[in-house]
Amino acid sequence: MLSRTAEHLYWMSRYMERAENIARFLDVANRTAMSAPGNPDAFWRSVLSIAGGEKAFNTRYGQASAVNVVSYTVLDSTNPSSIYAALRSTRENAHAVRSVIPNELWEATNATWLEVKSMDGPRLREQGLIAFCEWVRERSHVFRGIVDGVMLRDERYHFLRLGTALERADNTARLIGVPLGGFSPGGAGADPFGHTHWAVVLRSVSALKAYRTVYGDEPRQANALDMLIQKSSMPRSLLFCLNKTMETLDEIGPDLECTRMVGALQAKLHWSKMDELLSEGLKEFVSSFITFNNHISTQLHEDFLMSA
Amino acid sequence: MAFDEMKSSAGGVRAPYRAYENWLLSLPPDVLRRKHDEADMLFRRLGITFTVYGDQEGTERLIPFDTVPRIISASEWKHLSAGCCQRVRALNAFLKDLYHDQEILKAGIIPKQHVLGNAMFRPEMMGIDVARDVYTHIAGIDLVRTGENEFYVLEDNLRSPSGVSYMLENRAMMMRLFPDLFARHQVAPVDEYPDILIKNLRSVAPAKCKGDPNVVMMTPGYYNSAYFEHAFLAEQMGIELVEGRDMFVQDGLVWMRTTRGPKRVDVIYRRIDDEFMDPDAFNPDSALGVRGLLDAYRGGGVTLANAIGTGVADDKATYTYVPDMVKFYLGEEPILNNVPTWRLEREDDRKYVLEHLPELVVKEVQGAGGYGMLVGPTSTKAKIEEFRKVILANPSNYIAQPTLALSTVPTLVEQGIAPRHVDLRPYVLAGESVTLVPGGLTRVALTEGSLVVNSSQGGGTKDTWVLENDPC
Repeated sequence: MLSRTAEHLYWMSRYMERAENIARFLDVANRTAMSAPGNPDAFWRSVLSIAGGEKAFNTRYGQASAVNVVSYTVLDSTNPSSIYAALRSTRENAHAVRSVIPNELWEATNATWLEVKSMDGPRLREQGLIAFCEWVRERSHVFRGIVDGVMLRDERYHFLRLGTALERADNTARLIGVPLGGFSPGGAGADPFGHTHWAVVLRSVSALKAYRTVYGDEPRQANALDMLIQKSSMPRSLLFCLNKTMETLDEIGPDLECTRMVGALQAKLHWSKMDELLSEGLKEFVSSFITFNNHISTQLHEDFLMSA
Repeated sequence: MAFDEMKSSAGGVRAPYRAYENWLLSLPPDVLRRKHDEADMLFRRLGITFTVYGDQEGTERLIPFDTVPRIISASEWKHLSAGCCQRVRALNAFLKDLYHDQEILKAGIIPKQHVLGNAMFRPEMMGIDVARDVYTHIAGIDLVRTGENEFYVLEDNLRSPSGVSYMLENRAMMMRLFPDLFARHQVAPVDEYPDILIKNLRSVAPAKCKGDPNVVMMTPGYYNSAYFEHAFLAEQMGIELVEGRDMFVQDGLVWMRTTRGPKRVDVIYRRIDDEFMDPDAFNPDSALGVRGLLDAYRGGGVTLANAIGTGVADDKATYTYVPDMVKFYLGEEPILNNVPTWRLEREDDRKYVLEHLPELVVKEVQGAGGYGMLVGPTSTKAKIEEFRKVILANPSNYIAQPTLALSTVPTLVEQGIAPRHVDLRPYVLAGESVTLVPGGLTRVALTEGSLVVNSSQGGGTKDTWVLENDPC
């Protein structure tokens, strides 16, 4: 496969996953802000720290009100971290490889883009943020469904899978570290909303129900962290993403440097006790994970895409 | 009155259209329009579009598709296809001769200075042998009709003719929209096109190719207006769609960058003009090409389809000599006629043309896409005078032709179904053999009375049916 094709496939699935994750968190922030006590702006600000682009937001919008954050994160075409921009990039990458992906995948990606392109503020308000976020999630499900349902398990498929796994790991790590409404997770201070913080985080990755099944309890920090970091059966946990990445790399490049890097991190997450992982603090764990995850992405590029 | 392909018959409707007309009459009102809207929606969803340059959001437009087919009888097609293949055989023989012994120039059939001074003549190709002596592997021959038995070749497109994806997609769309029509007609299939094309491309592997040739499709990139077609054809043929930056030349061979390291490239079906193919040999600013490609090509390391330097054979002045080429190289009489053409470089011709501008069509010798032309009868006095000055500044850059009454075919427009002028571009494929699939791209001028069918000038397309058997 052409190196450039691999790159487009990788980014196509990364951007689709990104759009889904922004929508997921936006949805939960929206529902929570409606019911949480205190200052709802703090919730909205946390959306920015997940989605990115906080600096540009401060210059352009200032106050993190619901309207501002939603316009910036959903439809702002100049914000590279908006849902709009993520769907545009998904479609651009798909366009560049439309001759090698299933027609259904191209058509679905194109249809998603045409729909979001025709969306504007008034239409979004009429439809409602909740319905819109559901729609984005569904489009991502369709995307993954086509990939899983019809694609040949060759390199093309594997590069799509890599993009999804690495993007999802990045997102889950950000979620674990995000301060919500003034509460910094991992710290000694009590959750001012009782157990709301971890319920919100788990709900945004559709894992609250799963949590209850596993722990039979209301969300507590230690269990929530176990769920989000080390639970290998939870499809959005860090370890799950690393396992998927490793499986894929074993198929396409078992002897490469990127594979070694992923293997090292996977072993650490798999075998360490939680307090060993968090010995430097949760914030530090999260930021070093994100940095290492970025290094893996860079190394992938080196190993596969610069091969000539 | 222009010849109407459906209605111009003493006995009413012409035979090839009789079954269609019956069907049309039985149709409840508005069905065609609904189907038309459905087609638009589908084309947009499928991304069968061309890109409008200079738009940040990459606005993509549809080429208007008309749901009324253009129908050609089996016997008409036999004549047209024989004529097109004959023409392409002669043109390939001409290109080989021109870049080797130049017998046709020595025989005085084409003036030397016309060819050798032509900007599209590539001295780099002199003495270079290409696989199977094929220069133009894909040729689009533009045909027009003016009467029951009157067909003319309007021009030959020998560089990288586009539009064939619309021939294939229009057919797929018609079958989806009107399955019952295909039950009533025996329409010759066109879907073999990609299979024939890839077979031909494999058959022209270069001297240095060992084993199974690796054929690729080369595009300027996904921002190019015809990108859809490039991707479509690559997909249909199951070959890689590459850009210049995906390839490099080493030791006289061409390689592409893959996730498993460099891989040899043997045949490049390129949709990029000569000038952009190799910054070392042609336009040094080209970011689309591959350094050293021309040398690799000249050394037999790779085949380019179409070959470098075919442009010299498809400009509108060389066109006038094609019937002579048919006689000279093939010893045959031309099956298809040229449109009578005046060359403004000749004094007598120039005098006549300048006296008759309001009746004539004047075209730039190397123009394309309907730009830089004057259509006398539909132009204004002021515009004609303006164009006269342009011509006088460089007469040899122009040719003129009578304004042909292009045939019309019923077409769905705002007011209902009305006759609109059409042309036809069949695609001739050369390699192992010279052949074409039964069909082509019918372009239609959607504006009443207009003769300009180019999509860049608001033209649309129709599905083109060649009937397997003629109705008695």
